[in-house]
Amino acid sequence: MIIAARRLTKEFEIKANSAFGKPLRLRAVDSVDIQVGEGQIVGVVGESGSGKSTLGRTLLGLLSPSAGTVLFDIPDDVLREYDGFRRDGDAKGAASIEMEYSIFKKKGEKLKKIRSGMNMVFQDPYSSLDPRMNVMSIITEPLLAMNYMKPDKAVDRCMELLEEVGLPRDFAYRYPHELSGGQKQRVALARGMATLPKFLVLDEPTSALDVSVQAQILSLLRKIREKYHIGMVIITHNIAVISYMADQVNVMYAGKIVESGPKEDVILNPVHPYTIALISAVPGKMVKPNRIILKGDTPNLINPPQGCVFHPRCPMAFGICGWTADEIATDLKYLVNDKFAGSFNDKAVVSTGAGGSLVINNASAGDEGVLERIINEEKGNMKSLTAIEGLERHGTNIELKIKGYRVPKMYNHDGRKVSCLLYAGDDNKA
Amino acid sequence: MNEERAKRWDNTKLSIRVFLANRTALVGLIIVLIYVADALIMQFDPGLLGITQVNTLVPNFTNPVPLPPSWAHPFGTTFPGVDLYTSILKAIRIDLFYSILVVAVGAVAGAVIGVVSATVGGLLDETVMRITDIFFSIPYLILALAIGFILGRSLMYMSLALALVWWPLYARYTRSQTLSTKEFTYVEAAKASGVSRTRIMFRHILPNALPPVFIQISLDLGSIMVIFSTLAFIGFIANAKVPELGYLTSLGLNYVQTAPWAVIFPGVAITVFALAVNLLGDGLRDVIDPRRRS
Repeated sequence: MIIAARRLTKEFEIKANSAFGKPLRLRAVDSVDIQVGEGQIVGVVGESGSGKSTLGRTLLGLLSPSAGTVLFDIPDDVLREYDGFRRDGDAKGAASIEMEYSIFKKKGEKLKKIRSGMNMVFQDPYSSLDPRMNVMSIITEPLLAMNYMKPDKAVDRCMELLEEVGLPRDFAYRYPHELSGGQKQRVALARGMATLPKFLVLDEPTSALDVSVQAQILSLLRKIREKYHIGMVIITHNIAVISYMADQVNVMYAGKIVESGPKEDVILNPVHPYTIALISAVPGKMVKPNRIILKGDTPNLINPPQGCVFHPRCPMAFGICGWTADEIATDLKYLVNDKFAGSFNDKAVVSTGAGGSLVINNASAGDEGVLERIINEEKGNMKSLTAIEGLERHGTNIELKIKGYRVPKMYNHDGRKVSCLLYAGDDNKA
Repeated sequence: MNEERAKRWDNTKLSIRVFLANRTALVGLIIVLIYVADALIMQFDPGLLGITQVNTLVPNFTNPVPLPPSWAHPFGTTFPGVDLYTSILKAIRIDLFYSILVVAVGAVAGAVIGVVSATVGGLLDETVMRITDIFFSIPYLILALAIGFILGRSLMYMSLALALVWWPLYARYTRSQTLSTKEFTYVEAAKASGVSRTRIMFRHILPNALPPVFIQISLDLGSIMVIFSTLAFIGFIANAKVPELGYLTSLGLNYVQTAPWAVIFPGVAITVFALAVNLLGDGLRDVIDPRRRS
């Protein structure tokens, strides 16, 4: 594997609201496992804010992770050995392999050598090229910075690279503002592959470009992959780009990879509810009768939902996904005080207490029967109700018992890995 | 490499073309050049304009009351019988020299402090910024007067006082420029390409952050001259014979109703320079901005 990340986590510290408060921590990437083989293109899809760009930057060591590790150019059997050490809790064995392959354990010349083996192409070519440098200086910068070759040779290499990305040689003396968006992205690509890296991260390489230019850049990327066998991670929100380019697909949601597997499986036959909704949202020629429109917003990463992060928006959620008393109370309030207000005592109030208890106060006699019926009726629409285990009457109060929850792990299912409790039964080992 | 040299020459030509396209900037440049030429002539060969005593005003106590403009005195005279035309020519040299001194000292100190503050960050940054806050909280003219009062009444101390008042402005501006440039993707791209931190600083951040600071400095030359003459006008001047535009203006103040020219001509000399410098700065901004060149 060119790159293998294990349990990679990146947290950002956010300044607290008050000067004396504890700084808040935003977990942008949460225990991500990802690997890229030689010449393999791995796609990372997800909506904005899902942490995919942060993941890309951490894979390159541009950001240092809060936890986890990134191993560079590690033979497959060593990686298997490493995973074995991790599984068996052999910290010593794992550390010795990390010493050898982790990009965060390298310094000085060794780091420079690793650096020349990886690079990045950014989303916006308008800001990723220094406006005060000409194309020649931009492309030769990595060559000279990493002592990859002598300055006079770098000029020849620059001409070679320009040809490679389909630009005329005299562009070498132009400045970025004299180029179009597509031409700029070609220059950025030439810079990225200047040192013939083994690994390239492409962060939304086409989303700032016109559609016609997007296709050119993508086919150029494919050509380069075939010729130089560069392993790539393509970060994008565009499913079409992924399905054209990638071999493997990782779907990210709220900093976690929720589904990961071969492109054909994940795109054509998604199994995670989020992936299903994501793929169904792709615009096409035909109106899709079964398009799933998610309700609500992406979760707050400072205080993510408990259990499965996707459960508040999930159309297939069920009892043990991680519902909290507050989440259930929001739905119950609507039922008790609004939709079925006539069936209950006028003074009935849904309240949550400390320790996650959920109580309906001021209920009249017989209300629990009505409530039970309503809960069973509405379960299909309001997934939070599936977490109610039972009712118990104490005087005028009805106490609702909430089921325990589980945090989904990566389960093997149908040729891919998926992080959803629906598939927990298939595989409890992974 | 011939190709590169040709390209560079093309660039210079383009810069000149961009600047010339801005007519008002051209006017500004011409006026500034006239002021500079006058200062140089006064410095090296004042006889060229028939002036002998460059560093002092020549009073005429036999006829101290201001005379209107005439062939003998093109701009008239001011109290006490000082010829305004030659005095203004002399004064421009003094004002220009001390204005440049103030801007150079203040700007260089401020820019260095700003860059260091932005780069090091943390406690140092916080301390420096709070110090600049203190400077900003006091009206600059009063602060300059206070500092000048402590240092002593001479032109050199007066400009030092102004430089002390002015550096926080440049420190702040340079700091903010540096910080915002740091966030551009091309800095991250350079990091991804393995460029060292010092190299990123000198190759990417400073070349992009400093040009606007230089523009600001050139723009300030005009306002510094105004402030400098203001200080002289309110009496902050070493002796009664220094040819200085603000001081010249104050000489005619008592006669402003009967002899307005005694105030107008030195005043115009100050205003025109401040205006010209601003126009010039506008033109420079066009030249330096790569986006306006295409």
